Amino acid sequence: MNKLRTGAFHTGMILLSLLWLGPVIWVVVMSTRSFDDIAAHGVGSLPRSFTLDTYRQAWTDGGELRALINSMLVTVPSVALSLGLAAVAAFALSRFRIPGRRTILLLMLAGNLLPPQILLIPVAKFSELTGLYDTLWALIAVQVGFGLGFYTFVLHGFMRDLPGEIQEAATIDGAGVGQIFTRVMLPLTRPALAALGALSFTWIFNDLLWAITVLRTDDNMPVTPALLGLQGQFVSSWNVIAAGTVIAAVPTVAVFLRFQRHFVSGLALGAVK
Amino acid sequence: MSDFDPGRRRFLGHLGLAGLGALGASSFLSACASSASGPTTGNGSGAVTIQSNLSSPQAKAAMEKLIANFNAQGKGTASLNTIASETFRTQLPTYLTSANPPDLYTWYAGSVANDYASRNLLLDVSDVWKSLGDYPQSLRTLSTDASGKQIFVPMNNYWWGFFYRKSNFAKWGVQEPKTWTEFLALCETLKGKGVPPIGIGLGDTPWVASAWFDYLNIRINGAPFHRELLAGKQRFDDPKVKAVFTRWREALPYFDPKGKAYPFQEATTALLAGKTGMFLIGTFFADAAPKDALGDLDFFRFPIIDPAVPLAEEAPTDGFFASAKTANPTGTRALLTYLSGVEAQEAYVKASSGIVLPANPKAKASDSPLVVKGKAMLDEAKELTQFFNRDSSDALQPTADTALTKFIDKPDQIDAILREWQTSAEKVFKG
Repeated sequence: MNKLRTGAFHTGMILLSLLWLGPVIWVVVMSTRSFDDIAAHGVGSLPRSFTLDTYRQAWTDGGELRALINSMLVTVPSVALSLGLAAVAAFALSRFRIPGRRTILLLMLAGNLLPPQILLIPVAKFSELTGLYDTLWALIAVQVGFGLGFYTFVLHGFMRDLPGEIQEAATIDGAGVGQIFTRVMLPLTRPALAALGALSFTWIFNDLLWAITVLRTDDNMPVTPALLGLQGQFVSSWNVIAAGTVIAAVPTVAVFLRFQRHFVSGLALGAVK
Repeated sequence: MSDFDPGRRRFLGHLGLAGLGALGASSFLSACASSASGPTTGNGSGAVTIQSNLSSPQAKAAMEKLIANFNAQGKGTASLNTIASETFRTQLPTYLTSANPPDLYTWYAGSVANDYASRNLLLDVSDVWKSLGDYPQSLRTLSTDASGKQIFVPMNNYWWGFFYRKSNFAKWGVQEPKTWTEFLALCETLKGKGVPPIGIGLGDTPWVASAWFDYLNIRINGAPFHRELLAGKQRFDDPKVKAVFTRWREALPYFDPKGKAYPFQEATTALLAGKTGMFLIGTFFADAAPKDALGDLDFFRFPIIDPAVPLAEEAPTDGFFASAKTANPTGTRALLTYLSGVEAQEAYVKASSGIVLPANPKAKASDSPLVVKGKAMLDEAKELTQFFNRDSSDALQPTADTALTKFIDKPDQIDAILREWQTSAEKVFKG
């Protein structure tokens, strides 16, 4: 009976993970097929060719190097800035009796409930008014602005549960507010920050909507619109696009593997109160 | 291009606006600043920027080559900006209305361009047209807006037709039909051999069905009626429009039933594999064909239904228009003059793998038998139409997609479908 249960469990799990991995494998296989193979047999057929030239095409003709650099230039400062600002805000809102702190927090969260689509035109016009349109600055500003509410909310929940005695002890030892924040709160919040860092990195790196809203020069485009740019008006080289997608997935996967440990523990810590 | 000005005031302005003073982030920011600054443009002598939707690798390479040639001539400088065509389509109004727009755009001739012109967004390029005296009158009319000035410079056009594989037609022992009756007979023969006669691809690309509507309408009611209909001067529930669908129903049983599920690219694969007999499509579909199949492709003109109606063909014209707000009108016109010249047009045709005909009558098209045949077909036509969305607007296209897809599913509800189409079209025309 027990054996049967273990067997069923494993079969089920293997099938589930295959379902999960199927599309990924499909993309990887497609990226190694030649264009003529796909054109003659369709995207869904079994591979009849093998080439790695698609990766070269995506990298050089598709301008992926430039696009990846742009993506990093947007993502790294955006993650650092939004997490930094969110940590300060969460510290203030959770550890001090600021009047209306609940309202402020709810307001920040409510901003996140707005669908971003309705803000596309205002954001485009505003970035133009400020002269930031078509610069990476605009994208950083937008990403920080839109991420802030959620990050503050999560960090607030986390910091609120840290024991008050630690703060009191630090105060007695003569630490000021700034010192308490940088030397006591931030180190204690590390798991949550790491988890949010991995999450926000993925979100910002994978964003397409804001990039095509505030940018119009192909040299400035991050990797997602650059992948879109590999599509032709009528006909697309799906093998090259698949290769480009595989390349574009590498940074997020790397970040995730690096922060995986924090990610699980951090989320659990933030969630259970 | 980026309008980043590395001056100190501007830099501080950016800092302040983005609210980024905090957390010693300025080291990140200065790293960003240096990379976000591209070549500066916008002043009268700066480079002309071209916003291009030609994102397929061959077309993109062809455009890059043209711009490099232009820059080498020393008459001015230009820089190319290639944007994914779907993004370009949705962002074009934003580009044109922005405070500091790109100078030149690839886009379609006809009512789409005229629409922008009527909102004073496009540069008057009548000067450029003075050197295009030998262009055919049809292209000149197409590039002229309501107030009589030229606002568009055509680069090339292509044609639509029933494409098939020569080897398959030989195997099945069938010939190209000339008339509607012959066409239906051919369909019957193919069906008897177990091949779905007419391929189509409507999943993801429902607009392909509009080619059938356009062609039947210009064959039965003529091109002038077709244009008036798409301009809102005729009604979709008119009996003349219903006649179009009566004819279409005769051919409907011969459509590939799988065609509703996949996009036209896969319909191309099906045609090449001999799983369908023929396929009404524009020449761009050949980009989705493996190179070894290209020599085996041939096409015939959409069959004649009423010989009394003057012959019209679909010939979508691509080209350029410029922003009225360009900071460098002289440079923009110089670039347009270069692009409309024989040398540039021949270079483009040669470098792009697509089957296109150059707009300049002196420029030589590719001499493949397919292109020669296509050019002859268009030269023979009394009238040229563009395509449903190009003769009307991108806003009207979805109404056609809905109506035509519904018709293919439920042909006996045609009266209700046409009434509905008229209602949704009226909404679009009222804006």
